Amino acid sequence: MSRPTLVRLIVIVAILVVWESVRELNLIGPLLLASPSEIGAAFAKSWPQFLTAFQITLVEIVAALAIALVLGVSVGLIAGSTVFMSMVSGPLLVSLFAVPLVTWYPLFMVWFGIGGASKIAYGVVSGFFPVAINTMNGIRNFDPQYVMYGRAIGCSPLQIVARILFPLALPSIIAGLRIGVALVIIGVIVAEMLGSLRGIGYLITSYRNLYEIGGVYLGILLSVLCALLANLGLSALERHFTRWREMQMTQ
Amino acid sequence: MTKPTVIETRKVTKTYNVNAAPVPALVDISFAAEENSFVSLVGPSGCGKSTLLQILAGLIPSSSGEVLVDGMPVRKPMPDKIAVVFQDATLLPWKTVIQNIEFPLEVQKVPPRERRECARAMLSLVGLSDFAERYPHELSGGMRQRVSIARGLAQNPRIILMDEPFGALDEQTRLKMGNELLHIWSRTNKTIFLITHSLTEALFLSDTVLVMSQRPGRIVDVIKTALPRPRTYDMIGSREFGEARNRIWELIGGDEPTAAERVGL
Repeated sequence: MSRPTLVRLIVIVAILVVWESVRELNLIGPLLLASPSEIGAAFAKSWPQFLTAFQITLVEIVAALAIALVLGVSVGLIAGSTVFMSMVSGPLLVSLFAVPLVTWYPLFMVWFGIGGASKIAYGVVSGFFPVAINTMNGIRNFDPQYVMYGRAIGCSPLQIVARILFPLALPSIIAGLRIGVALVIIGVIVAEMLGSLRGIGYLITSYRNLYEIGGVYLGILLSVLCALLANLGLSALERHFTRWREMQMTQ
Repeated sequence: MTKPTVIETRKVTKTYNVNAAPVPALVDISFAAEENSFVSLVGPSGCGKSTLLQILAGLIPSSSGEVLVDGMPVRKPMPDKIAVVFQDATLLPWKTVIQNIEFPLEVQKVPPRERRECARAMLSLVGLSDFAERYPHELSGGMRQRVSIARGLAQNPRIILMDEPFGALDEQTRLKMGNELLHIWSRTNKTIFLITHSLTEALFLSDTVLVMSQRPGRIVDVIKTALPRPRTYDMIGSREFGEARNRIWELIGGDEPTAAERVGL
């Protein structure tokens, strides 16, 4: 085992020991903090329920992310395609992004019901804006000589966007996706907490209502796991598509 | 026997409308260049050199007058006749060198085997065969510009338009690149139209130097350089060279040459 891994392990064990003993010594009351052993107990007691909820939430997140990506990139490409379009849609997108979305959630429940659809829809709206804005900026902030070059070799407008501008904008799009992923995860879990009968967010709310703090903390841990998995997938994507950009940076 | 004319402009004029008032940018630009000739265009910055190049390339329309390449009027880009080399090499950074050279052929739907062969030939012409699988950011500025030239040659055009291709390079690399360009050019039958702000570069490389005035740009003189080919660096120090340079300098700037200009930088 390498030295950094060893030190990291020691730090984690130390945190767990301190955490556990804070509860053992009752320095913080049982309604405020669950110890690792209490979280473990909650898991042992109701793991099938949590596993199902975890799967549901993960599917909702992945679905919302995929839709937000497709919509965001499409809208961003159109919005950034000409100076005029970006002058029209730029301020619109940026100000819509600033609207506190959670105030709209009750309407989402009316429109899409309390099932998965409203969670996915809410996640999509959360993740859409950063992807669209970054795509638009990505294809606007390049050297205009690239467009001239594309035209000079006989590219159609569509070819210029698809073969030249889109690949040039990819690093910026992926940066937008990074923000988008975080917002989609928050969106889906918050939506589940506010009104739902399934998923991690729902379990967190219902265990809190039962004062079973171990279950609440287990839910929180699982939502962290969702975020970790999503970021792992994203990093793989980033490495695959922007190898040239990373190499450029390290030069 | 006279060589055929490759590019010809007839009274090309470009007028922009700024706040509903017409502002002339180019006035009555007429010149012709024959096959396999090397023509440079010099002029003070902002005189409309790049505008003219974009009109010649069919990228923007002129307000009046016409541009003919091989006797055909240029109204839109003609990739089979005209290639453009920009100031920034504008190589696609996610493509390797060889893929970059193949790209214009791919757009023209040339079959893969054929375009790979053509790209290899062009790459060897610019002396970068060993760099086929490298990415643009792994190359120096001068090498990138050579790839850009190879990419233009791959289109097999009649004329290559170059917009300050060596402007971003340091002076030494710049002269070397100019010499390199002469070598490449001498092995093809292409016509080269080069925009530059370096009078030395223009005189050293060209058969003909077009001198443009301040905005609105017009051609105020056409200088045939009498230097023999192949050109060598020591020609830059000759008296004729210096006289020609001073003459252009007076035409475009009216000022004394700077110390750097006098010593040939």
